[in-house]
Amino acid sequence: MPVWFGAPVGRTAGLLWGRRWACGELAAVPQLHDVDYTLEYPYTRTTGPVIGPFLTGLRDGRILGQRCGDRVLCPPMEFDPDTFATLDPDLVEVGPGGEVVNWTWVAEPSAKHPFDRPFGFAFIKLDGADTALVHAVDTGGDPEAMGTAMRVRAQFRPERHGSIADVCFVPEADAAEQAIEPGEEPVAITEHLIGLRISEPLYPHRARFAQGLLDGKIIGQRSPVTGKVYVPGRGYDNMSRVLMSEADEVEVSDVGTVVAFTELNPVQYYGQTETEPYVRCSILFDGTDQPVIGIDIRDMTVDEMRVGMRMRCVWRDPEDRSVADIDNRFGNIPETVYARFEPTGEPDVLADDLKDHSW
Amino acid sequence: MVSLAEDVAIVAFEQTPSHARFNDSEQAMIMPCVNSVIEQVGMDRHDIDFTIAGSCDYLSGMPFAFVMNIDAVGAWPPVYESHVEMDGAWALFEGFVRLQSGDIDTVLVSGSGKCSPGSYREAFSLQTDPYVHAPLGLDPRTQAGFQAQALIAAGKATERDFAEVVVRSHANAKNNPYAQLSGDLSVDELLAEPYVQQPLRRLDCPPTSDGAAAMVIARADKARELCDNPVWIRGIDHRIESHHPTLRDLTDSPSVRIAAERVGLHDGPVDVAELTVTYSPEEIVLRDSLSLNGDTDVNLSGGPLTGSPFMAVGLTRVIELARSIRNGRGRRGVAHASSGPALQQNLLCVLEGDS
Repeated sequence: MPVWFGAPVGRTAGLLWGRRWACGELAAVPQLHDVDYTLEYPYTRTTGPVIGPFLTGLRDGRILGQRCGDRVLCPPMEFDPDTFATLDPDLVEVGPGGEVVNWTWVAEPSAKHPFDRPFGFAFIKLDGADTALVHAVDTGGDPEAMGTAMRVRAQFRPERHGSIADVCFVPEADAAEQAIEPGEEPVAITEHLIGLRISEPLYPHRARFAQGLLDGKIIGQRSPVTGKVYVPGRGYDNMSRVLMSEADEVEVSDVGTVVAFTELNPVQYYGQTETEPYVRCSILFDGTDQPVIGIDIRDMTVDEMRVGMRMRCVWRDPEDRSVADIDNRFGNIPETVYARFEPTGEPDVLADDLKDHSW
Repeated sequence: MVSLAEDVAIVAFEQTPSHARFNDSEQAMIMPCVNSVIEQVGMDRHDIDFTIAGSCDYLSGMPFAFVMNIDAVGAWPPVYESHVEMDGAWALFEGFVRLQSGDIDTVLVSGSGKCSPGSYREAFSLQTDPYVHAPLGLDPRTQAGFQAQALIAAGKATERDFAEVVVRSHANAKNNPYAQLSGDLSVDELLAEPYVQQPLRRLDCPPTSDGAAAMVIARADKARELCDNPVWIRGIDHRIESHHPTLRDLTDSPSVRIAAERVGLHDGPVDVAELTVTYSPEEIVLRDSLSLNGDTDVNLSGGPLTGSPFMAVGLTRVIELARSIRNGRGRRGVAHASSGPALQQNLLCVLEGDS
């Protein structure tokens, strides 16, 4: 089964939506997909006076503990874990050998684990330390090799960045001698790329909205309580606290009025794919009570936009429409279904008449 | 035991079934619960003084997902509202504390979570230490494995004991219409299953669940006005241990012991206990730390091993206990919620029926 990697789509707040969807045959691309994306973001943190040297040590092939009275703490801490008194940085090398004092076998590694084959997580009391470090032990996939009191030894990764993941552990007999070239600058910042994989079907009302776009229709939901029409429907009317279903769905006009707009000047955050300024607007389609936000305009400048301007959707040809970017969370109309929005030439709607619908 | 400025009671509660997958939004899951509790108390929604929810954006897979959840609680025109990035049991705690000020009467509490779209193992690894744990993907199931192994090594439990917890939980869940898993299991058959996280097997771990729960609590006079059978919150307390599992004795729970003392757990009979046993070994630690004996019915609902919608699961324990008290299964009992891995954080809530 071929897997396509879609171009990541930049979202607000600097979040990367790296999309991926699978399709059966290239000739018959399924348009109503399951939602499948990874929400990913690099967290950067300053390291401080104790963790900084610890991570620098890992990059340089050494494991450091922190003196705390007559004990040595590893992982090192900036405070005495019993009294919470601040500790002056006083680091001492420990390991690289150590003893397993508690362990568990990971039969099904997650995507975030250090190994993609089964391995042991262990409490490891390194030689010279009085507290234990949680870390991963690679026994080549053999759970029988794990046990309390087993001897293990640190092995450093070929690529090291000043992270706890620069090192792992193996049974002592399996350890290789390593010559590690120290780095230069102390590790003052550590980066951790976090990612959450989301995989789910489109909610039924989202699937119907998406199918509508493929058919060149904008589907909304009419509240059975107030009669207000929401586009796209969210499966409920939050004003009346009532759930809505297919029975409440209506096709609405693809002609509407601009109620808000802005120019986006893309900041080059992680995952950003936009480079040039563009216009994003909200359009209140005729007969509806809630504007569709996040409609992107590529062929007009911000100077040409006006609140109250009448616009119509010019759809792409049916075979060129795609809703692959639609998920369950954002309620816009994607550019992949329309060629452009163009002014109708009708007189503007007075802004005052839009004041209950601006967003 | 801490004396309370204001007596507070649960006057209405609702929960969803524990769904393997709820194929709609978190808001659509919460809304019927909220509507139910508002209907139970017969109040105009805007006469409820304070609103608070517990949920987790990492589970929902969207920044500021908790703001979207406000859609479900009836917040227009705007209401006085708050949120905790914690289980709904902590929202209850904040609501309870808020009522102690004595200037408002009612609080709408909710908790919700959808685990099915993502991986809770990966999401909750992000609440561990960001320097030495999270980059390893140190997940809650691994930490439960450490706790299980520690219990075995200390001679405090065996894998058979874990299996017996599972058998009891699934049997009790047969009477719980909200449970996701239930049935008659055999210890020997469970022990023949492969490990997923040695020494834990699949059913020692919770199912992946989606669900929501809601509750209205009120000060004493208002509580009596709103319902005929208020269930009184006699004490509530939350204690935390180190986030470094290697610095803890995983076979004991000093935080539970302290919380139990603070809520005066044994100042009266403990007829029923609803415990957040997310992994089967936790029941052994909790029974011991709570000093429960054979007089206490534990997890009549089946507990989280039979349905575990994270962020609603702790609030649901309080609801299950309140239901047991209303149904006459006991007069007084304790609900327990946990947060963090391997019972790192624990909240206890003592409930008592109207006397």
